[in-house]
Amino acid sequence: MIPLSDLLLWSFAGVLFGSLISWIPGFHIFNIMALLVAVFGVGELMPVQAFPFFAIGAIVAYAFVSAISSVYFSVADESAVFLLFPTQRYLLLGRGHEAVLLYLIGAVAGTLVLVLGALFIFPKVLPPIYQATSPYITYFLVAIVVFMFMSEWPKEGDRGKTPLQRLWLAWRQILGGILVFFISGILGFIVMNTNLLPTTSAYTRLTPMFIGFFGMSWVLLNILSNPPMLEQVPEDKVESSIYNALKATFGGALGGTIAAVYPIITGGMGALVAGHMTSQRGDDAFIISQGVNRVIYYVGAFTLLFLPNLRLTRGAAAWLVSSVYTPKSYSEYLAAMGVILLSAGISFLFTYYLSKFIARSFNVLHIKKLSYIVAVVLVVISYLLTGPMGVVVLFVSTAIGMMAAAFNTRRSYCLGGLVLPVLISMTGHTGYFMHLLGLG
Amino acid sequence: MRGFTHYISGLAAATFFAALVGDLRLGILIPVIAAAAAYFPDFVDFKFGKFFARRDYEIDPAPWDEKKHYAPKLVKISELSEKNRYQFFAVEGKVEEILVRGSGKLTYKVLREDGTEETVTDSYNSIVFTLNDGTGKITVEAFGDDYEFFEEEFGKIEEGREMLVFGYVDVDEDGSLKLVVSDAPHPQGIAETIARAIEEAYHEGERIVKIHNIRLPGDVYRQFFVHLDPPKREVRVEMGPIVTPGGVAITDKPPEYRRYGIAKVSVPFIKTYPKPTRIDSFSGPEIAFRRATFKGKTVVKDRFLPWHHGFSHSLTMGIIIGLVVFAFFKLIGYSHATELAIASMIGQWLHVFEDQLGFMGSNLLPPITKDVIPGFKLGESGSGLTNFSTAWLMIAFMIWNFNRFTDPRPIPMSDAKLLLLLAWPSIIGFGIAILRSFKLRREIAELMDYYTNLEAFEELEEVGGI
Repeated sequence: MIPLSDLLLWSFAGVLFGSLISWIPGFHIFNIMALLVAVFGVGELMPVQAFPFFAIGAIVAYAFVSAISSVYFSVADESAVFLLFPTQRYLLLGRGHEAVLLYLIGAVAGTLVLVLGALFIFPKVLPPIYQATSPYITYFLVAIVVFMFMSEWPKEGDRGKTPLQRLWLAWRQILGGILVFFISGILGFIVMNTNLLPTTSAYTRLTPMFIGFFGMSWVLLNILSNPPMLEQVPEDKVESSIYNALKATFGGALGGTIAAVYPIITGGMGALVAGHMTSQRGDDAFIISQGVNRVIYYVGAFTLLFLPNLRLTRGAAAWLVSSVYTPKSYSEYLAAMGVILLSAGISFLFTYYLSKFIARSFNVLHIKKLSYIVAVVLVVISYLLTGPMGVVVLFVSTAIGMMAAAFNTRRSYCLGGLVLPVLISMTGHTGYFMHLLGLG
Repeated sequence: MRGFTHYISGLAAATFFAALVGDLRLGILIPVIAAAAAYFPDFVDFKFGKFFARRDYEIDPAPWDEKKHYAPKLVKISELSEKNRYQFFAVEGKVEEILVRGSGKLTYKVLREDGTEETVTDSYNSIVFTLNDGTGKITVEAFGDDYEFFEEEFGKIEEGREMLVFGYVDVDEDGSLKLVVSDAPHPQGIAETIARAIEEAYHEGERIVKIHNIRLPGDVYRQFFVHLDPPKREVRVEMGPIVTPGGVAITDKPPEYRRYGIAKVSVPFIKTYPKPTRIDSFSGPEIAFRRATFKGKTVVKDRFLPWHHGFSHSLTMGIIIGLVVFAFFKLIGYSHATELAIASMIGQWLHVFEDQLGFMGSNLLPPITKDVIPGFKLGESGSGLTNFSTAWLMIAFMIWNFNRFTDPRPIPMSDAKLLLLLAWPSIIGFGIAILRSFKLRREIAELMDYYTNLEAFEELEEVGGI
């Protein structure tokens, strides 16, 4: 293991790096880390043993600071063409800072749950449970996908004049979701199984697709909707209750753990499952549980790389790091816990003061202008990582991400880009589908 | 129970069959059908049944703007008529004539928390003017708190001024229409329609009322409550604050003079659930009012979401699902069609049983049984405690089954000990739910005792009313 002083130095560098980029809408820490590795490499500027700790610092910072972009810089169009997230509603009410505080409550709770779980529960409980259930991961995955389709709540249909009109209005949205899932899946299948993108981009070939689905489409909606920049109240006050916070922590931790441990199941899918299991309701509880969920999903998944008797590689960052160096000892595992706590403390303060600053000066820089800049940067990142075809993939996936918004369905249907090809592969049908699509 | 709780029960049901677990290990994912079967009753009801259900009365307090999909709807004056009374609309036009600018005292009745009425007198400012939008003209009134808001928003109202006015439609004593400036519909229309439906149900047998919710710009909703008060023979509707879909109130309630709508009902009725019906986000409910017999008397009973928990939620449907699954999968040559069919049937039956733990109950074995068997009232369908306890139990069963059907066992432990270790959170959860349910049952029993005295109230009413 590297000396403690180096460990602290690189962890701090990770937190700083993560904090500086994570508040920007559309930026994802995994993409930026991949870009960093692609451009600078690891081993020259930074010792390879330090990379996991740098990554932890950056991921913790992302899990905390990204609250800023989702609260202050996401679409909140007064006309509400699309349904709003609770954080967006808080922003429209001038309570963006309160939403960030609620998220931070969740993120701190998530950090504590994660560290306590990692120290006292995970090493004993996770390996046998994982061993007993891991052969059935495909079952869980396909079950969640089927449930996503079956449980889509029709947001329209009530006001149709005839039964058939009502049925069509409801099913228009459901069918839209299915369409988005399968189109995303076909794109993901092509990206994963063909030479569309250069082989040199092995670790980043999915990056432009995900930037398009979630980052670029979000930024474009910001530009198109031109949301009003409403005055924000920077007061340190939240409306919630201890009961709601505890319930949200429980639900968020459950969803985050499911997503962290099992491959392909993302934080959103985990949250869907846990939200139904614990029957959550209330905007405050939703935002708190998001904070818990995201910390456990992102940081917890990465932490599994450190767990000596399990050592699971979960998430793009873990794959990126493990290609360079995989931690091996319990002392590294314990050091990782310390780094998580330290990084969480720093990230909390950074997010809190940044939120206060943004709340006070919210209408200085319009989201629309910031979104133009981010859109250009996202195209550049895609080009640097995957070349000109990556930019083409970015445009196609952006269109699919926009379709999800237009159909008023769950954006998570875009995860078909990952889920469908993986399911096809796990069930041994890749060759058949290649033939079906005329690709081989 | 929530959808996922049922769904995961189906997932767990499949794992009780070694052959199906073996298939899953080989990557054959067909057993997921059992989970789909377990969710099927809700899928059918909420994705199909709901849209085909009959509606005798459709209450839409604030019709949506067809393009924006929220209220208030921008209408032409010529489109308004007496049937729009109390509904919330927006009208754009030119101020033609200021009829009255005034101030004075306003006296109105308000309803206190304990159900008593109180007469309140407030001082007020008001304005009455006519608005013309080219298709006709309408009288616009603003008074009290609404006048203050109106003036704050538009400044001094002058003749010739173009403006967008929103409020509820009302009918003057002379039969002419007017628009009363407000930020919500008047609840009187909702109360009157429900009261009429109850009275008709008493004479005709059944009336189904669909109540739409009130969606406003910004994905927020005007919350309102429907109280059925059988002893007082009243339907009371109370307008609440504007809330987010998560239920967070972001405004105060409307001023008291337009917060309540009360309609008297001339026939006896009872309410089967001890809480008022709350309407806010997602969609508004359907309530069926049905003639029934209670303690030997003819009364009208309410039934929430009458299209829900019907045939789809019966054990009979489980048998049909089992037969269909068996026939289909046998036909396509799936070697474990029998196990899958039984797992699917059990999954659907688990759904029926889990829902039976709540309030609504189901008609369990149609056509042998004809009526709904009331639920066990262990908790409401949205109860986090019962949902989590059930879902966790199912996860415990899955891990337990995966372990015992794998050789060598990944978790080397006896079956009983492992199940106990896995299931203790559910055991504690159900224990708490059962303890809590005693309180709820007591409340319902008290309510039913209260209804038993309905006759006494009738007598009181005959000698002068309550």
